[in-house]
Amino acid sequence: MSNEPARLPARAGEFIDRERPLTFTFEGRAYGGFAGDTVAIALTANGVTILSRSFKYHRPRGILSLASCEANSLVEVNGAPNVFAEGHVLRDGDRVRAQNYAGSLAHDRHAWIGAFGRFLPVGFYYRAFFRPRGAWRFWEPYIRRIAGLGRVDVNAPHGYFDKAYLFADVAVIGGGPAGLSAALTAAQAGARIYIIDDQPVLGGSLNYLRPDTAGVRAGKERDALVTRLAATPQTTVMTGASCEGLFADGWLAIVRDRRLYKLRADRVILATGALEQPAVFRNNDLPGIMLGSAAQRLIKAYGVRPGNVAVVLTANDFGYGVALDLADAGVKVAAVLDLRSAVTESALRSAAFARNIRIEVGTKVSEALGRERIRAVRIARVQRETPTKDGYAAPFATVDCDLLCVSTGFAPNLALAAQGGARLVYDQRTAMHRPEDLPTGVIVAGAANQQFDLAAVIADGERAGRGISSAEPDESTSGVSHPFPICPHPKGKEFVDFDEDLTITDIEDTIASGFDDIQLLKRYSTAGMGPSQGRHSAVNTIRIAALARGEPESRIGTTTSRPPYSGETFGVLAGRSFDPVRRTPMHHRHVEAGAQMMVAGAWLRPAYYGALHEAESAIADEVAAVRARAGLIDVSTLGKIEIRGPDAAEFLNRLYFTAHLKQPVSRARYAVMTDATGAITDDGIICRLSDRHFFVTATTSGVDAVVRSMYLWNAHWQLDVDIAHVTSAYAAVNLAGPQSRAILALLCKDVDLSSEAFPYMGVRTGHVADVPARLLRVGFVGELGYEIHLPAGCGEFVWDRLLEVGRGFDIKPFGVEAQRLLRLEKGHIVIGQDTDGLTHPLEVGMRWNTGAKPFFIGGAALQAHAQRGIARKLVGFAIDAGSAIPKECHLVIEGSEIAGRVTSCAYSTAAGHVIGLAYVRPHQAEPGQIFSIRVDGGKLVQARVVTLPFYDPGNARQNA
Amino acid sequence: MPLGLLFQGFRRRPPQRILPAAKPLRQRYDVVIIGGGGHGLATAYYLAKDHGIRNVAVLEKGYLAGGNTARNTAIVRSNYLTVEGVAFYAESVSLFANLSHELDFNIMYSERGHLTLAHTDAAVRTARWRAEVNKHLGVNSELIGPEEIARICPRLNLSRHARYPILAALYHPPGAIVRHDAVAWGYAAAAARLGVDIHVRTEVTGIATEGNRAIGVETSRGTMHAGSILQAVAGSSSRVAELAGLRLPIRTVPLQACVSQPLKPFLDPIIVSGSLHIYVSQTARGELVMGGATDPYPLYSSRSTLEFKEGLMAHMLELFPFLAEVKVMRQWAGIADMTPDFSPVMGATPLQNYFIDAGWGTWGFKATPVCGKRLAQTIANGKAPDLIQPFALDRFANFVQIGERGAASVGH
Amino acid sequence: MKILQCPLNGPRNISEFVCLGEVKPVPGPDAGVAQWADFVFMERNAAGRVREWWLHIATNYVFLVDRDTRSDEILATYRIGDPRLQHPTGEGSAS
Repeated sequence: MSNEPARLPARAGEFIDRERPLTFTFEGRAYGGFAGDTVAIALTANGVTILSRSFKYHRPRGILSLASCEANSLVEVNGAPNVFAEGHVLRDGDRVRAQNYAGSLAHDRHAWIGAFGRFLPVGFYYRAFFRPRGAWRFWEPYIRRIAGLGRVDVNAPHGYFDKAYLFADVAVIGGGPAGLSAALTAAQAGARIYIIDDQPVLGGSLNYLRPDTAGVRAGKERDALVTRLAATPQTTVMTGASCEGLFADGWLAIVRDRRLYKLRADRVILATGALEQPAVFRNNDLPGIMLGSAAQRLIKAYGVRPGNVAVVLTANDFGYGVALDLADAGVKVAAVLDLRSAVTESALRSAAFARNIRIEVGTKVSEALGRERIRAVRIARVQRETPTKDGYAAPFATVDCDLLCVSTGFAPNLALAAQGGARLVYDQRTAMHRPEDLPTGVIVAGAANQQFDLAAVIADGERAGRGISSAEPDESTSGVSHPFPICPHPKGKEFVDFDEDLTITDIEDTIASGFDDIQLLKRYSTAGMGPSQGRHSAVNTIRIAALARGEPESRIGTTTSRPPYSGETFGVLAGRSFDPVRRTPMHHRHVEAGAQMMVAGAWLRPAYYGALHEAESAIADEVAAVRARAGLIDVSTLGKIEIRGPDAAEFLNRLYFTAHLKQPVSRARYAVMTDATGAITDDGIICRLSDRHFFVTATTSGVDAVVRSMYLWNAHWQLDVDIAHVTSAYAAVNLAGPQSRAILALLCKDVDLSSEAFPYMGVRTGHVADVPARLLRVGFVGELGYEIHLPAGCGEFVWDRLLEVGRGFDIKPFGVEAQRLLRLEKGHIVIGQDTDGLTHPLEVGMRWNTGAKPFFIGGAALQAHAQRGIARKLVGFAIDAGSAIPKECHLVIEGSEIAGRVTSCAYSTAAGHVIGLAYVRPHQAEPGQIFSIRVDGGKLVQARVVTLPFYDPGNARQNA
Repeated sequence: MPLGLLFQGFRRRPPQRILPAAKPLRQRYDVVIIGGGGHGLATAYYLAKDHGIRNVAVLEKGYLAGGNTARNTAIVRSNYLTVEGVAFYAESVSLFANLSHELDFNIMYSERGHLTLAHTDAAVRTARWRAEVNKHLGVNSELIGPEEIARICPRLNLSRHARYPILAALYHPPGAIVRHDAVAWGYAAAAARLGVDIHVRTEVTGIATEGNRAIGVETSRGTMHAGSILQAVAGSSSRVAELAGLRLPIRTVPLQACVSQPLKPFLDPIIVSGSLHIYVSQTARGELVMGGATDPYPLYSSRSTLEFKEGLMAHMLELFPFLAEVKVMRQWAGIADMTPDFSPVMGATPLQNYFIDAGWGTWGFKATPVCGKRLAQTIANGKAPDLIQPFALDRFANFVQIGERGAASVGH
Repeated sequence: MKILQCPLNGPRNISEFVCLGEVKPVPGPDAGVAQWADFVFMERNAAGRVREWWLHIATNYVFLVDRDTRSDEILATYRIGDPRLQHPTGEGSAS
């Protein structure tokens, strides 16, 4: 609310560039700042202290830590929701808005909710809102609107994000004193180092802490370390980069701007520091109450005076450093309140005393006063020395202030260690957690390892740099964190979790309700489930739980830290979203000819040639051309496999349902593959090219699984056979129709194409248009036809030549849709359409000669199926004119039961009526029988069972 | 303002206990249920309520309902494929719809509508198949086209130029989301009120047998005789079954999920895409809860991976391109027991008096009430009712499968 | 991303591989329905040390892996025919 300029004179090492001012708007008003300012900093410099409204009670909130990424500081920036104001570095013209309020940030209409806090205790929604019936349906939309934080802009564009890979011998996370000395030590051994820090410059706590009375030591130490690092080869520094996750085998997720770096490191050193923790007392969430280190960052890194009159609440030496920094910045320090009653002298404390700063030992804050900002604290005496619950004591004085700095303890930042599987164990002596069972290759150093004395921190970094796991922390770590900086008040509002607006009572009530395990405590109360993920609340929650349960904190345990550390955008995780597309060698010809391309797995195939609105007529024309003259279809996507070796026939015979052991050379056979459950998994053509050489085709989408099962089964059998997956090595076409022989003869001179020399299901090798080719006489579409396999590089050339010489016969290219219709007229099944995951050969009329083929994969299963009796059969059916045309998967209904379903169905010009394939019960499967199909709208249509094939039952055309 | 809140606000503290206090183990229980998750607690409740069998113990090795019940994405639906599956899950949906009242605990049952998107012809066929079977059995589902999808979920990217354009969808209006922990807590509290003993931090270390009969249970806190035993330990089914000398048709794999930071409401229905291997819904708190396919290899660990998130987000942005600046807040994993046919295993085992509830893969949470009710019936009567007969363990010995792959999971 | 040491291709990201299932004794050619049903459907599904068939996708190379399914550690990888495979699972050093 103050309008006085809050900027301090420039100082060395600050993060801002005063030569580059900028402007931005907040809540529609324009403000000024400097390059390097974050949103939170610039607003504070402009006297704006309220950043947001809290999740549940809509209380005004401001800066807390400037480090822990809590919900207090979530704002909307340029339309992007839930941005950390303390992390977003401003750009000129940024539009910032607050979130989660109705009306205005200053006068949030929802703030009344806070007055009704007693009616909204923890877990209130579990015991209300569901009576009478339908009540939740009534209340939920309102609760949904009030809940949530940021607003999604449904018109936001999908910006550019990408990824990069990095490799290091040692990755150091944290560029503070421990990280810098670890990096320097490791580099001496010749390691390639990456050092990662989320701040804009290196230095970590050296950029803001004050370990000495003169206030110069930290800066000097930082400059020395940074200079040495800059002179060290093989070290790469990444600032402004956040390590969001530590995954198996030294795999680190690092986010900087709009790029995700995936860093593989042999060793990881976590020099991630310690997070200063808040104290808990009534109204401890008021704007103007911040951690001591936050005030120091404001002053030293950004040149902002955090307030005019300050009180410091401390329980360690750091608080006195804060007091001196405040005084140096021109802030009047009204008092330092030390929670400790007996304090050993320290240089910082003496210096504060020497500057006539009022120091009250054994004193705590029982209540903060103020509405939108703190205006005073009520202070009381600490009653008990031992770290147990210090009950409410009446305050003995009120101290006016507009700033309260809290330095009562730290929590080592072990989130990444925990992500890697480490257990966090509460050290009762130091009142902080330490890691156990760190994953291999991960070492912790510095404040994260409970080292707080600067010399000890640097030495600890060196140890880590040498690759030595840490020993027990030494004595200097006691007395840094107060074991119970929690002061309950009869009127409540002592916030333990700022994200979720949870107070001491909420935690205690949760335990009293029976949710006493720390995991249940979290889930019922939602403590630690907000954007901070417990960074500022977990430890105090554990302490309150320990007291309530009468057990030490080490028995309470912790909840699990999971990635990401502070949050990753969907965009940076998605990156450029590469999605491969496979094109056949003839792809361009299809596009040029105006084909509508369809997706078939990763492949693109022509569905038909013609405009979208002409689909029906285009397909009909293609069908007619194949039946009357000739058509050409690109079947390059078919799976193709070469099987060679002395055991080739034996191998295929064991693997397939169909028989291939005695298959003659130069013959093709329709092949069906079953898995060990007897289900049909794939089909194709197996051609015998020689005694020891087979060429196998498979379905487009099934070939990968076919090849894998071939390799796996042969790993068991160890037959002498070579398996080569050659799908993309060959282009393939199907030339089909009564004129196909005539057309082919114009280009193929070295194979006798006559019907006697090259009968149906024959296989020949020769040349087409001088290109080496395999010719298979197969009849998928029921006409005289040839499936021609060519080297992929020649596919387009031969396609052109065939169409060229075929022009005289009015040849037409045809696509997948026409092919589906043509094969249906011959009653051929399509795997995956006419079969489902459980269909076995006996259900689709395939015979199994158990005598000829004693063993194949799936044989035992088929025995079981045969013994149990077939439950369904696939039959051909016809529907007479006038009825609605059933769609695929419409059900066959018998009485009141489902008897089967339609798998393929279409109008056939050749037959003159609707034809299809359907599963029916075995007793319905006799030709001539009628069964019912339920179509759209629930109507029943009558269908008549017909013997297959529908077209050319004598197979004269295909055998020509 | 709901009366309940007023009443709570004026009542004196401390609050009433919801979850029961710890108790000593008894020497003998009529029924011992191994596993204190949703299924085990629900079974205990229905044993007491429907059959008057109260001498029941639920044994949980960790904290109450800390397994998959704590980790799932809380979707309830019955738009399955098989006649057996649809009938089964339909009963669960109707039990769920009434569960807050049954348990006197708000499980926050929220009917939002469920859309299974079809991006290929094969997917459209399967969606139609499911719709037809659903309708035949009286379950509300239908196949709808892009215009109708746009009406139900205007935010979806329905562009024809997307990499995998949406061709159609299976729309299931009864699809709902629930507060999953509350289901377990509600069942636990209600079961305890009826006299059931719930023992947490109690790990089963052995099954005592006499010939081919199970007669008792050994635990980390002591042993007890048992009239009947049920194991309901998703994620540990094979390990516990091994104690009883049984092998199962199960492969255990992690199933990961993640949640965004809380957002103001913008997504009403639950969206599933088989081709893109993802599903997403928005909770009452405002978070987007997202999941995908199971992990690619067996593992008994709930560790998280980066590649899971990367793949998921690439596909999320295909459906909702405007979400690029939204942040993931947390990721986690459950441990899923996958069966060959994507249907569960329920009922008797070769060991007498030893019953099993397993094979719940990625389809277990939605079955919590019907599973509890029908397994209670199975144990009380010694025979599985018709509704769950198809899911018997011995179906596999005859190569019988209840195939629900397409309807149960994404990513296959 | 975990790393798997392929006996043919060396250390690769685990996404380059497919797990083909536990190593189980394959029923002989005369085995009946019960044996095959057991082989196809029943799994040890152990929490701890397992031996599995794995395949490298790009090269279609099939090999064996000893893994700990609790700690997610790769304990050893073998080419088919590796003499160390003679020892029961529990021995064999990491390759």
